[in-house]
Amino acid sequence: MNDTDLDTLLSEPLPERDAADFSVALMEAITQHEARPARILSWISAGVMLVVIVAACLFGASSFGQGDLGAHSLAIPAMLTFLACLLSYVVLQSVRE
Amino acid sequence: MDDSALVERAVGTRDVAAFSQLARLHQSKVRGLLLRLTRGNHAAADDLAQETFLEAWRGIANFRGESSFSTWLYRITYSRFLMQARKRKPDEQLGDWQETTPSGESATQARIDLERAFAKLSPPESAALTMCFALGLSNTEAAAAMDIPLGTLKSHVLRGREKLKAILGDP
Repeated sequence: MNDTDLDTLLSEPLPERDAADFSVALMEAITQHEARPARILSWISAGVMLVVIVAACLFGASSFGQGDLGAHSLAIPAMLTFLACLLSYVVLQSVRE
Repeated sequence: MDDSALVERAVGTRDVAAFSQLARLHQSKVRGLLLRLTRGNHAAADDLAQETFLEAWRGIANFRGESSFSTWLYRITYSRFLMQARKRKPDEQLGDWQETTPSGESATQARIDLERAFAKLSPPESAALTMCFALGLSNTEAAAAMDIPLGTLKSHVLRGREKLKAILGDP
């Protein structure tokens, strides 16, 4: 084979590949990649929410029977309820994304 | 719409549709280059191509437009291939050209012989020849895509051509 023949052969374009399946798989991979931060945030939020619920249960158990439901005692369960609602909202938003 | 307009949209508003269009325009050449580098292994080539485009999507904000989009993409393609090749165990060397060409694709005997001959070249020789001839890059662009000096690229091209001539001329 001479130089000209080799150059001609080498300069032939690479065979055209069908884009359909590849594009679909690539878009799925990109979508998964984009959803990753939201997924991580939802797992962290779920973990924190669990801690808040456990804390609320412990607080409820410890104050049960004390019969003291003054303003200070109500502040802690109110705060825990607020945190639980806030985290539920964050998880919901992450799942929607 | 040309590459630069699509890149602008993909960078500016993280427009997935614009990037998808870019991917569709360039996928065939990227997959073809990887198919040669992986010696005809369609599955490995397509996996690497997907990783290449995913990395391009992650890093498209860093694309400064100093080179063409395709050169930047080939740079990612080749570095991805090298990274994967380094990870491969010594006993997992790539073999000869694999006959996995789908039946729908027509291939002349000369092309089959060429691909078999390419399988006997080193990856830098194979990449240099493919970029300079089949992909139509200039020597400077190919050197930039492979991240090697211009002189090194030229010697890869020269050595690769000599090897191909010897293999194809000696049936």
